[in-house]
Amino acid sequence: MIAELYKATFETIYMIFFSGFLATIFGIPLGVGLYMSSRSKKYNKVYFILDTFVNVFRSIPFIILVLLLIPLTKKVIGTIIGTNAAVFNLTIAAIPFMARLSENSFNNLPGGIVDSAKSMGMTNWQFVTKVLLPETLAEQIANITVLLINLVAYTAIAGAVGAGGLGQLAINYGYYRFQWDAVLYSVIILILISQGIQFLGNRFSNLFRR
Amino acid sequence: MKEIIRAEDLVLSYGKGNNRRIILDHINFSLSEGQIFGIVGLSGAGKTSLLRTFNLLNTPDSGKIVFDGIEITSLDDVKLREIRKKIGVVFQNFNLFRSKTVIENIAFPLILDGTSKKEAFKKVSAIAEELGLSHRLNAYPSQLSGGEQQRVAIARALITDPKLILLDEPTSSLDPLTTKKILNLVLEINERHNVTFIVVTHEMEVVKRICDSVAFLKFGKIDFLGSTHEFFIKVENGDIEDFGEKIEEEILPELIAEFDKNHIFRVIFWGENTKKPVLWETAKKFDIKINILYGKIEKFKLGNYGSLIIEVEGKGIEEFVEELRNSVYSIEPLRIF
Ligand SMILES: Nc1ncnc2c1ncn2[C@@H]1O[C@H](COP(=O)(O)OP(=O)(O)OP(=O)(O)O)[C@@H](O)[C@H]1O
Ligand SMILES: [Mg+2]
Repeated sequence: MIAELYKATFETIYMIFFSGFLATIFGIPLGVGLYMSSRSKKYNKVYFILDTFVNVFRSIPFIILVLLLIPLTKKVIGTIIGTNAAVFNLTIAAIPFMARLSENSFNNLPGGIVDSAKSMGMTNWQFVTKVLLPETLAEQIANITVLLINLVAYTAIAGAVGAGGLGQLAINYGYYRFQWDAVLYSVIILILISQGIQFLGNRFSNLFRR
Repeated sequence: MKEIIRAEDLVLSYGKGNNRRIILDHINFSLSEGQIFGIVGLSGAGKTSLLRTFNLLNTPDSGKIVFDGIEITSLDDVKLREIRKKIGVVFQNFNLFRSKTVIENIAFPLILDGTSKKEAFKKVSAIAEELGLSHRLNAYPSQLSGGEQQRVAIARALITDPKLILLDEPTSSLDPLTTKKILNLVLEINERHNVTFIVVTHEMEVVKRICDSVAFLKFGKIDFLGSTHEFFIKVENGDIEDFGEKIEEEILPELIAEFDKNHIFRVIFWGENTKKPVLWETAKKFDIKINILYGKIEKFKLGNYGSLIIEVEGKGIEEFVEELRNSVYSIEPLRIF
C-alpha cells in the first residue's frame, strides 16, 4: 500500500500543479480581459460576454462539469480517465476561478495609481505589463495559492471519477474495501499538501509586498 | 504670447440623476505659454477636479479644453495619449507605483517612451540630486516619508520636460526649507524651459512666490481671475471671502481709532514704484505729514508688492492724494470701518 500511496501522492501533486499552472497562464489573461473591458465603454459588450462565460462556468458544480466535458476530454486527451484527463477538467474549472480572483485584485488597485498611469499616456499593453501586473504581483501570488488549495479539494473529487491520485485511493480503499487506514493516510497527505502550499504561498507573496 | 491652454465653458458633475452634483460651473480662462497659474480656493471648491479635467482624467459634461492649439476634449484615445505625454502631473496624494523603486518611478515615463535604462537613470540622477533624493534612489515608496514621496512625484513629472505641468498641492507635506527649494526649482524650470505650470494650492506663500496669475474657485465657479497682485489687494480688502489675511486682521484697531478716519489711506505699491521715494517726495511737495500705521513689502514672482496704511495731516490732502495716485499703484481711503 505504501507504494500505492506514493504513486497517488505524486499523481495528486502533478494534477494540482499542472492544472494550477495552466489555469494561471490562461486565467490571469482572462482576468486582465475582464478588468480592461469593464473599464472601457467601447468594449462593454466584450465584458458582458466574458463575464457571463465566467459566471456560467463557475456555477456548474465540478462533478457535473466533468460529465459535461466528457466528449471534449475524449477528443482532446484521448481518454476520460487518468491524470491527464483530470488535468484537463481541472484546468477548465479553474480558469474562470482564477480569472475572477485576479480581476478582483486588479479592481483593488488604487484609483490613484491608475490615474498616474493614464496621465503618462501609456498604451494598454504598457499599462498591463508595466503597471497592472507588477503592482498586483503579491496579490496574484496569494490568488494562485488560493487556487492551488482549491485544486487540492477538486483533485480529490476528480479521484471519484477515475482521475487517480489520493482521492481515488481513498475511495477505492475506504468506500469499497473499508480500509480506513488508507483513507486516513490520504487525508493526512492532502492536509500536508495544503499546508505546504499555503506556507510557501504566503512566504512568496510577502516577498513581493511593498 | 502664445496660448498654451484654454478652458471654454467647462461643466463637470459627479453622480447621476438625483445624485448629480455640479462641481465645476462654466469655467473659462486662457493661459499663455510660460505662465505659472495658481488655482486657489477652500477645501472642496473643486480645485483638484478642475486640474484633473486638464488632461481629461475627468471628462467634462460640456465645454472645451484646447491645449497647444488642439481641442483635446474630442480626441480619440491614441491622440489623447500623445497629448498626455506632454502634460506632467503631480497628484495630491502622489500616486507613486508601489512596486517600483524611487529611481524606477522617476525614470518610468522615459522608459515608456523607449529611452534606454542607462540613459534614463542618468537623467534621474541629475534631477534627484537637485531634489535631495540621491540617497533614497533604491527605496520603495512605502519606505519614504510624505515629503520624500512628494519630491519623487515632482521629479517624475519633470523628467520628460513636458510643456505643461499640473501640480496639486505640491508643497503640502514639505517643511519650509524644502518648500522653498521646490518653489525655486519650479521657477527655474519655468524660466529655463518656458514650461507652463498650473498649481493648486492652499498656501499664500506659494501663490506669492511663483504665480503670475490666479483663479479663485468658489463652489465650482471662478470667483476671481487675474494677476497675483490684484488678487492680494482683494484678499487684503476682504473682497475674497474666507481666504487669506484681511488687512484689518493685521493692523491694530486701537491705533487707527486714535485718528480721523477720513485721513487714513491705503497705498499699494507694485513693481517699479516700490523702489522710489515717491511718498516722501509728494508729501514734501504739499507739506503733508505722514504717519505710517502699517506697512509691508513682499517679493512676488513678477515684482515687489508693497502695502501701506498711512494717516496724513496737513492742508492740501486732496491734492496730495491726487498727485500720489499717479505714482503709486493705488491709493484709497481705508474702507474697513
Ligand atoms: N470622484 C468623486 N465622486 C463624487 N464626488 C467627488 C469626487 N471627487 C470629488 N468629489 C466632490 O467634489 C467636490 C470637489 O472636490 P475636489 O477634490 O475637486 O476639491 P478640492 O478643491 O481639490 O479640495 P481640497 O482642497 O480639499 O483638495 C467635493 O465636494 C468632493 O466631495
Ligand atoms: Mg484637492
